[in-house]
Amino acid sequence: MTPLATMLQAPGALVECDDDPEAVFELLCAKGWSDGLPVIPPTPERVERMLAYCDRDIEAPIVKIPPRYGAATPIRVAANAVMAGCKPNYFPLVLLALEAMAEEQYNLYGTQATTHPCTPMLIFNGPVAKEVGINAGNNAMGNYFRANAAIGRAVRLALVNIGAAIPGVGDMATAGTPAKFTFCVAENEDASPWEPLHVELGFPQEASTVTVVAAEGPHNVNDHESLTAEGILVMVAGTMAITGSNNAYYDGQPVLAFGPEHAATVAGDGMSKAEVKRWLFDRASLPMSKFSKEGIERRFRRKRADKFANAPLDTPVRMVGKPEDLIVIVTGGAGKHSQYVPTFGNTRAATRVLKRADGQVVKSIHDLRRA
Amino acid sequence: MAQLRKRGLIAAVVCSDTFMKLGAAQAKVFGVPDLPLLRIPHPLGGLSIDKVRERAEVALLQLLKVVKEKQS
Repeated sequence: MTPLATMLQAPGALVECDDDPEAVFELLCAKGWSDGLPVIPPTPERVERMLAYCDRDIEAPIVKIPPRYGAATPIRVAANAVMAGCKPNYFPLVLLALEAMAEEQYNLYGTQATTHPCTPMLIFNGPVAKEVGINAGNNAMGNYFRANAAIGRAVRLALVNIGAAIPGVGDMATAGTPAKFTFCVAENEDASPWEPLHVELGFPQEASTVTVVAAEGPHNVNDHESLTAEGILVMVAGTMAITGSNNAYYDGQPVLAFGPEHAATVAGDGMSKAEVKRWLFDRASLPMSKFSKEGIERRFRRKRADKFANAPLDTPVRMVGKPEDLIVIVTGGAGKHSQYVPTFGNTRAATRVLKRADGQVVKSIHDLRRA
Repeated sequence: MAQLRKRGLIAAVVCSDTFMKLGAAQAKVFGVPDLPLLRIPHPLGGLSIDKVRERAEVALLQLLKVVKEKQS
């Protein structure tokens, strides 16, 4: 008997329902085990198939997800991955994202329970993203592609079903964001003029990683006119510098996702990623006078007294604490648009590399298939 | 707070009414379902200092009750 079959013999472990999609959906919604959209019923057979791509103990928690601190064991996460519509070979990437979110600097409790509209943005790098079909081309942050939709959705369902991020009870978001259904992208490494994010962070090119960012939905940067790096970065800086952003108050790590055409123009003028970050650190700012009188007195003068207690009103309020805090990637297809992604602020990005249980870096997703 | 409560000290958490469900759920998760929650009107953010004082008084009355109960 498989471990799953044994587990299902425990009282209450198996929920039975008519074999009808609408009945299953009604049942799951009634129990609060959904994101409001129809799901694939997580039958034992489907969960077993998902676990075929898990080479670790299926009952050992990856993370305890707050606010309930429910144990995210592979077996439970697999049920959510089935519900989300994942192919079994997506499953290791769902687990990897949860592993990254377990890192303390990510602040999983805060990001789950906050009133701010943040959600895990999953940025995949390396060969496995391409192998399983995570879209990095046209509409990379949008709909249509199963891997992007289902991997991000599986993570979100785990946060709700295992962690109890129930709106108004465990997830206190004032209005939330549509990105809470799924927010999963890959870097378009082929179209980038720079080293990809994982290489910049010190991982080998052939490794596959996820970087998780507690993000708002993307804010568009439309620039069809600029012909120079400076022109495009002026437009980016203007999009970044907004009074309502948490990044004006906390040293979080926002993401700048260049469209390939903007990236080519910026790099064509000889700018490295580090230089882009430095440029935007200096110029993506607002004078303190742009904030409300109360905001200046209560937030800047008191809560950020170290920098602003007696500062003149034209003192710049920067959107990143230091240049290297800005995460720069390239994603998407043709067109003169880039995306700026502000964050929860009180959080740091976390990156994990895909490895087998024995510590070997995975070259292909098939390395993780059970014998 | 949960740790303080477990050690037998007087401990309580101030919650605005909108956050009472989260507070109660967290107290249960951390093994102190009887942790006193001092209920104040929502919101707490974006208030004048006078309004903050009003909420402090609301919480203080409840805290005094918790202390008296503990002593008796």
